[in-house]
Amino acid sequence: MNFDWGYFLEMIPMLAAKLPVNLSLTLISAFFSLMIGLIFGLISYYKVPFFTQLIKIWSSFMRGTPAAAQMFFFYYGLAKLSKLILNMSPVVAVSVIMSLNMGAFVGETIRGALLAVDDGQREAAMSLGMTGTQMTIRVVIPQALRVALPPLFNDMINLFKMTSLAFLIGLRDVMGASKIESARTFKFFEAYAAVIIIYWVITILLTQIQKYLEKRCNAIYQ
Amino acid sequence: MVDIKNLTKTFDKQTEVLKGIDLHVDKNEVVAILGPSGTGKSTLLRCINYLCVPTTGIIRVGDVEVDAAHHTKQDVVRLRRQSAMVFQSYNLFKNRTAKENVMEALVTVQKKSKKEAEEIALHMLNKVGMLDRQDFYPVKMSGGQQQRVGIARALAVNPNVLLFDEPTSALDPELVNEVLTTIRSLAEEGDTTMILVTHEIRFARNVASRVLFMDGGYIAADGTPEEVIDHPDNPRLQQFLNFVSK
Repeated sequence: MNFDWGYFLEMIPMLAAKLPVNLSLTLISAFFSLMIGLIFGLISYYKVPFFTQLIKIWSSFMRGTPAAAQMFFFYYGLAKLSKLILNMSPVVAVSVIMSLNMGAFVGETIRGALLAVDDGQREAAMSLGMTGTQMTIRVVIPQALRVALPPLFNDMINLFKMTSLAFLIGLRDVMGASKIESARTFKFFEAYAAVIIIYWVITILLTQIQKYLEKRCNAIYQ
Repeated sequence: MVDIKNLTKTFDKQTEVLKGIDLHVDKNEVVAILGPSGTGKSTLLRCINYLCVPTTGIIRVGDVEVDAAHHTKQDVVRLRRQSAMVFQSYNLFKNRTAKENVMEALVTVQKKSKKEAEEIALHMLNKVGMLDRQDFYPVKMSGGQQQRVGIARALAVNPNVLLFDEPTSALDPELVNEVLTTIRSLAEEGDTTMILVTHEIRFARNVASRVLFMDGGYIAADGTPEEVIDHPDNPRLQQFLNFVSK
């Protein structure tokens, strides 16, 4: 086996330079998927008629089909019906699919976390004369966030890994750059090893942040 | 202060827990509700602030009256603001310190300034002997301490009536006394209307100005502690008192 270390080491900074594409995709879709998830979670938690059923079907679809298929369906398929999608830049299209896809997962995470807040906490809030909104904002959500933090952060790490799909519709992210580069040199082994190492290092960093946040969040409960 | 007319509560359309309660509680009365398990004591208490929604009946606390037949969310919130509840399992907000627990409703519900809320909170914590634990989170406190903060939290909103739902049932035996002492000193001050569901007969005998005995979904006896506890004339009540005193 001949592994070209020199080429491998050369590839790392070259591919890492594309990280801003992946990181900005992650940040944008993290924001929107959290918003979508919070709305989905609250609707399912309060069992809002009609919308709860709608979200159930939508989430089943979003969670039950591959993100890559969703992206092709959206970017190449639906584009036939909609001028808006046809003219959409790849970055926006990837962000939309990532947000919608992860939003469904985040919705489930948040619903579960809201259910984990015990009834006594709600009863105490109600008995003090809080309105439903006050109770949700002041008591239920802060306590649910603590429960939700570990799984939510996992969702965010998955989101970061999902950015490797961007190359499928032609974005020059870490993965896309590696594909183009290796197609030219035929050094697939080295090029993809570099991709994997870059992803791994970033997720390790994210995990460290997760640990720190969890520790801070749990401090008052121990 | 509290007026209840023809209150009934049926769970799941078949289990009739309250079968027709009429009750009037005057200002500054301390009413203890005794009775065997499953006779609707807690349900009655929880109906007074609509944590449990009655099947029929009219409930008035202070100047807010709510009829089970037609009530809105706003009615219920207004009714709840007339009373405050001390729970069996304390139910302190886990994400807030003792002081913040007491301040919470003052700020969010009564729209007081933080400064004013803090002053009231410290005064109330002092009253229950928890001033030195003001910055502790609930997990750092014993059950008895949590319950005393629970009492301070309920007192702070200056309710027309204070409702106690078996406030010592979840406590270790050696912690019961500190909570009972706190409640007793409130009763002795004499300016708080209280309704207590309790299994502590001796405590009820000493502290209450009036004792109710509930049996089978009705109020079966109603009188002074002397009448109800010392000289019971209802055979079910005699049986109950014999059973608990053993």
